[in-house]
Amino acid sequence: MNSSLNSLFSKQPPTTTEIDAFIAANEFPLVDGNNITFLYRGGAEQVLLRSWISGLNTSQPLERLKESDLWALTIELPAGSRIEYKLEVIIGDQHSLVLDPLNKITAKDPFGANSVCQGDGYTRPLWTQPDPDARVGTYQHATLPSKAFGDNREVNVYLPARFRRNRRYPLLIVHDGLDYLQFAALGTVLDNLITNLDIPPMIVAMTQSNDRLKEYGADDRHAKFIAEELLPFLGDQYPLLDEPKSRGLMGASFGGVATLHTAWRYPGLFGCLLLQSGSFAFSDLGQHQRGPVFDPVVRFMNQFRQNPGVPAEKIYLSCGIYESLIYENRSLVPLLQRQQIDVRFEEARDAHNWENWRDRLQNGLSWLFPGPVWMVYE
Amino acid sequence: MSELQRILLGPQRPTINLGRVREVALPEGPMAVISAGWQEAEADIDEVYEQVQSPLLDLKLYQRAEQVFSEDPNLHKAYRQRQDRLQELQQLYRMRLRQLMTAARRIRRAKAARDLVEAELQHAVAQLRELDQHHLGRIATVYDEFADALGPNSSGLLADHIAEINTILEDCDSVLITGGNVLVLLNRLQLFDLKAQLAKRHLVAWSAGAMVLSDLIVLYHDRTPLGRRDVEVLGPGMGILHDKIFLPDARKRLLEKDVSRISVLHERFSPADCITLNSGSFLRLYDNIIQTAEQVGYLGESGRVQGLSPG
Repeated sequence: MNSSLNSLFSKQPPTTTEIDAFIAANEFPLVDGNNITFLYRGGAEQVLLRSWISGLNTSQPLERLKESDLWALTIELPAGSRIEYKLEVIIGDQHSLVLDPLNKITAKDPFGANSVCQGDGYTRPLWTQPDPDARVGTYQHATLPSKAFGDNREVNVYLPARFRRNRRYPLLIVHDGLDYLQFAALGTVLDNLITNLDIPPMIVAMTQSNDRLKEYGADDRHAKFIAEELLPFLGDQYPLLDEPKSRGLMGASFGGVATLHTAWRYPGLFGCLLLQSGSFAFSDLGQHQRGPVFDPVVRFMNQFRQNPGVPAEKIYLSCGIYESLIYENRSLVPLLQRQQIDVRFEEARDAHNWENWRDRLQNGLSWLFPGPVWMVYE
Repeated sequence: MSELQRILLGPQRPTINLGRVREVALPEGPMAVISAGWQEAEADIDEVYEQVQSPLLDLKLYQRAEQVFSEDPNLHKAYRQRQDRLQELQQLYRMRLRQLMTAARRIRRAKAARDLVEAELQHAVAQLRELDQHHLGRIATVYDEFADALGPNSSGLLADHIAEINTILEDCDSVLITGGNVLVLLNRLQLFDLKAQLAKRHLVAWSAGAMVLSDLIVLYHDRTPLGRRDVEVLGPGMGILHDKIFLPDARKRLLEKDVSRISVLHERFSPADCITLNSGSFLRLYDNIIQTAEQVGYLGESGRVQGLSPG
């Protein structure tokens, strides 16, 4: 148990006032080196820590402390870790999955929000937070007809501050672009990285799918849409650098699959890929165990692993160590390197979530698209 | 004019010391400003005026170059080809540089008899020097190709701009060059053939502005998001100040405590002095001789950044 919590309970059950004071004086969960103590206060029959982290049980019970209304659980978490969780509070037949009431830090995602445990040494990078001195980009919205899908597709385009039509810009196309904006602070990150000269001023096109598990799962229609429809459309609308090395494609999870698949179907078109926690499931033997939605992904990945070619010259991959996909991502690295692709792989003590992807953006983007910081001496 | 003053400063953030030029006895009259390193923000020179309190004549080199490129496609094409070739050349140079730098780093850390390590390190540094020289030679070749491709007086528009700039400069005994993108700045100075004009004037320059005045421009940054990069030669500068390489913002960009690496840098560029210009630095030279050096350092043989003294 955490030492300060231990001293609170050292003699006899603390009074309500003492517990109030203890809670007011601390931030939760309690971080003591690698020991993290989760605390819940309230009446319940059972309280569980719920997390979706490879390596930990998805459900771990908190222990009621003496006769108090405090519940606690201490787990070990390596330095620099960041995990997302909820608490499950059970009263009678009622099971409530709630944010940790004692923890103000939360992370949002398309399914809602989670509480965030920041392990010893983790700090949110400054460049992910709004900087009043950063020059802010603007956004444009467009609708383009897609023959590949037989419907209209929306695209939101980020234009860097001081955008000028007589200059030419690198292009990055982002899968789940609106989610990246909303849950991974992509707009703020772009503004900051461009202002800090870590990346060049660039145009970033955000795409979004209403049926991503199908369309991003190695779907030829999607590859065709990106390569033969969206890219020419953007080329007509915006002043782009017309060379593969200034053209990037990016995505996370199934968006990573869509990125790799599109680049593989159109080799040489995109010079840079940014793949985050790609759902690169494959089966060397027998059937995969990930459910039917992964069937086309596994078919593609098996084919890809057999014949990878050179989908792009430079590929940045990242994956959380606390993800079940870490094995698949790690195993992709030597495969790509054997193709003489310039590969950079980064692992993080985090899981399959948007803030993990957010925190890797500086390294990924600045490696794929080095900014002028090298040339600028203000 | 007898002795020409060159006032060199570090970054103007967080400490702004450009105003100190008012302490220096520069001739009265307007001062020409070159802020092409700021690219699109070239015209934002109000703060410069606030500091120097002297009439400014903006040479608008960036804007002029944009106009020349848009109206003279042949020149633009040749120029772009030159820049593409230089960029490719720089990438090839980096490949070789990385190998030599890696070798030098490993030798430095090798657990072997000191005399053996020293001898190998010396040879590794000699190879680095040789590579830098080779690179400069190759750059010169690309510049020659560009000049040949254009032929003499190929662009009337460019010549018009050069004449206009020279006319403006007739009224200016001093030129001020701001920091910014060192490559863009250098390219504009070269495009408008300003070496001779700068050489015969008093100069005030900071950061990239100081870098371009030297014989040699060296790029460095040990604290990029992806960590340290190999220090590389960009190419020759305008050649107005000799045997000096300027390293602006060294306190932020250079890992000053890496003694053995700094010692290698010293050796690599010797006999030139690698001079650090931080925010607040003030360096005054008469012609090429240092008269005043405040908060100015240099990379010493010992591998430490040492204070620079006049003389």
